[in-house]
Amino acid sequence: MPLIRRGATPPHPQLDGPSDPLADLGAPDPDLRRRAARELGARPDSASVLGRALALEGEADVRSAIVGALVRIGGEDAVAALLPHLGSDDAARRGAVLSALQDLPETLAHLPGLLADPDPDIRVLAAEIARAMPPTAAAELLCAMILREPLPNPCAAAVDVLAEVGSPDCLPALHACEERFAAEPFLRFAIRTTIARLSAGGA
Amino acid sequence: MTDARPVSAATEEEFERLCEFLYRRTGLAFTTAKRYYVDRRMADRMAATGSRSFAAYFAALRADVGGEVEQLVNSLTVNETYFYREEHQLRCLSSSLLGPLAAGKRLGEPIRIWSMPCSTGEEPYSIAIWLLENWPEVDRHEIEILGSDIDSSALAAAAEGRYGTRALSRLPPAVVARYFECTADGEWRIVEGLRESIQLGQANLVNSEDVARHGRFDVIFCRNLLIYFDDASRRLAVENLYDALRPGGYICLGHAESMSRISALFEVCRFDDAIVYRRPGGKSHG
Repeated sequence: MPLIRRGATPPHPQLDGPSDPLADLGAPDPDLRRRAARELGARPDSASVLGRALALEGEADVRSAIVGALVRIGGEDAVAALLPHLGSDDAARRGAVLSALQDLPETLAHLPGLLADPDPDIRVLAAEIARAMPPTAAAELLCAMILREPLPNPCAAAVDVLAEVGSPDCLPALHACEERFAAEPFLRFAIRTTIARLSAGGA
Repeated sequence: MTDARPVSAATEEEFERLCEFLYRRTGLAFTTAKRYYVDRRMADRMAATGSRSFAAYFAALRADVGGEVEQLVNSLTVNETYFYREEHQLRCLSSSLLGPLAAGKRLGEPIRIWSMPCSTGEEPYSIAIWLLENWPEVDRHEIEILGSDIDSSALAAAAEGRYGTRALSRLPPAVVARYFECTADGEWRIVEGLRESIQLGQANLVNSEDVARHGRFDVIFCRNLLIYFDDASRRLAVENLYDALRPGGYICLGHAESMSRISALFEVCRFDDAIVYRRPGGKSHG
């Protein structure tokens, strides 16, 4: 039988851990950088150095390890290390950061600021972050946003999330938004769909 | 006229809302064609959780109170395992994945396949039987198959290798005759030679050290596990799976799962028999 019998397998070579993960985070070898990032995820005081490395890292798997390490560290330090990259021009970096911020409950405290950010792209991303936050708080923030938001795209992002996290309490804000954007058919359609769902007695 | 729907059935809008949530959270896609199926299971879960309305149940589901996402997913998916389950992936393994992987091996370097979670052993034994029966090159290579699970009692059952008739229903009689023996109590036991050819070891996929000690693999079967993790655990599990694969190695997920929805680390490979995911690097085959 060509299958290797139980107990006959040689021990698997183990990869050595980085000798100095802080230094190895800047090593030329991406495998070493990835291992360093993963090891630093066990050190709560390395959030800021991981955040700085995230700005420079071009390899997708190393970047993923850095973001994963920050989520593992968690807390306000991790959120602070991630937030500056939400506006990155690199879509993959931006997406990785958004997903990480969704996993960190401390992001909630930053949501009001993000939903009012001068950059409309940040406001769109902030609405998506709200999807992963506690629904009552997220719905309140999104309703406040769609009452003041001047552009249709951030409103559309918020309305899409409200369809999931919202409740009948959101209906007045949705109706007001629909009136303000009466000339935007796609947004009116999205709002009406959301209103129909929430009117049905949603959570 | 009576309403044929279960008492807890959702309105159309609520049903859409539930389906969107399930899709976003797990990748499981249900359409109105499955409405009655979903309604019945949701009614059961609402009764089990004491939820008096869709709104109350959906709120508990979103907050994952008492692990409700897993409970609902369990009720919506077929948890019964059996030999040759998702046979198309096994076909893909022998027809598309292993040939090029084997060609890149040094003399004597084994092909390593990991079944995780292996539960009571049906999957790793299926992989072994499939390769012995269907991969023409099987005798030219050394193949190591490891089955791992977090549950030590499941691993003990896998080592014992005893199964009911129902678990063997997809296997041709000739295959059953070659690899199983009927026991006195009417069960079927994997023949000793095959039992001894599957490595078994406990592993928790979210524990990096636990995963690393098993070395790197050419192919990992990780079916219907990731959908049960919360976001943070799933992130960690996927990083561990990536590190457990050799560059160019493949990962096979359950038919309702999509790695693309979880991580951008892997390349999507569409073969005739299955869609699988590949760790970049090594030679490209897909």
